[in-house]
Amino acid sequence: MKVEAIDYGDRRVFSVGAFNRGIASWLSRLPTVWVEGEVTELRRQARWASVFFTLKDPADGACLGVSMPRGQFDGLRLDLADGDRVHVYGRPELFEPKGEFRLRALSLERFGLGEHLAALERLKQKLAAEGLFAPERKRPLPLLPKRIGLVTGNDAAAKRDVITALTTRFPPARVLVAETYVQGPRAPGAIVETLGALCREPDVEVIVVARGGGSFEDLLPFSDERLVRAIANCPVPVVSAVGHEQDTPLCDLAADARASTPSVAARLVVPDLAELVQRLDRARSSLERGTRRALDRERQRLDRTHERLGRAPRLLLERRRGRLDQAAARLTALSPRATLERGYAIVRRAGGIVRSGNAVTSGEAVDVELAEGGFGARVEETR
Amino acid sequence: MTFEEAQKELEEIVRRLETGEAPLDEALKLWQRGEELYRLCKEQLDSAEGKIEELAGRAEAAKP
Repeated sequence: MKVEAIDYGDRRVFSVGAFNRGIASWLSRLPTVWVEGEVTELRRQARWASVFFTLKDPADGACLGVSMPRGQFDGLRLDLADGDRVHVYGRPELFEPKGEFRLRALSLERFGLGEHLAALERLKQKLAAEGLFAPERKRPLPLLPKRIGLVTGNDAAAKRDVITALTTRFPPARVLVAETYVQGPRAPGAIVETLGALCREPDVEVIVVARGGGSFEDLLPFSDERLVRAIANCPVPVVSAVGHEQDTPLCDLAADARASTPSVAARLVVPDLAELVQRLDRARSSLERGTRRALDRERQRLDRTHERLGRAPRLLLERRRGRLDQAAARLTALSPRATLERGYAIVRRAGGIVRSGNAVTSGEAVDVELAEGGFGARVEETR
Repeated sequence: MTFEEAQKELEEIVRRLETGEAPLDEALKLWQRGEELYRLCKEQLDSAEGKIEELAGRAEAAKP
């Protein structure tokens, strides 16, 4: 393109437009290249023909303006956010009306999905080898935490969902909400800090880390090594409620429990109040029943004992009578009466039974006892 | 004593009472203790008031 100059004597002077046109024309001859950087200051409006953002070099902070036709940008459906790393394919361009240099993007790729995945897998292997995800590391969650720490972003959805789920199940729940970054490069450090701050609060006995679903990149901070380690080493048990069922950020593996939805998180963290009260009341009525049964048993035993006590004297008497009868029978067996019946007689004198003729003298009076009656006699002679 | 401990002990007491092995004086002691534990649990539930607080200041400070 021919650039016209005005000659003032020996000085060639270009108008601004001409200068810009010249530079633009010169730039346009440069080759198309790939440039890598982080997206910042993304500006997109429906009425603009182009989308603008600044590409930043994460190493030294160098910046480069980028523009891309809006239709093309939208067609890629990249859903870019600040901090995302991209490869831009384009050529240098000067926006002539403003003399602004920038990169005109022809194509745009999110960088490193595969790389991220590979790095993630390596990290996972490494942490697993250290035993960070071991089942024996998992701590039981308290049945009734005095206070629940909730780490969440300041966008309402995840926070509201978890709080609603918690208070529905257990209205007296005490929740300490700590808002922080849950997305972007600042998120891991911020979440680690927040975890620490919650642990220092009194009575926080369990912490829920909650974040709604999002793209793979959105959830990357939750696989950050610092954060994963902080969760594994957190003095308070942690429930990871990050993303959806199909997402498994590494923090899920390090946490003491994993919840795929806010209501699962609530089930893990607080008891069902109605159920708890019911269980407690059941225990109490069983307590009363059990005690009453013990009492009844004792009463019955006492009654039985009392009854036996009442029977005891009669039993004693009967036993005595029996023994008396026995003694009487033996007495009868031993008495001389039977002998007398057979015709024997007992001769007595004043001194007792006469067993020998020498014991009496002639003329002495003796008494003779027979089986029936007896008589007095006088000794005629002795032999 | 935590709620959990109290509830656990309460249920253990109930179990022992239900086996009917405890002699009366022990059963009465268990019952007394059980009632105490029940009250403890109930109080903890009743006294707990739902509360949503924000760790605002500190979270802010935590942001880099």
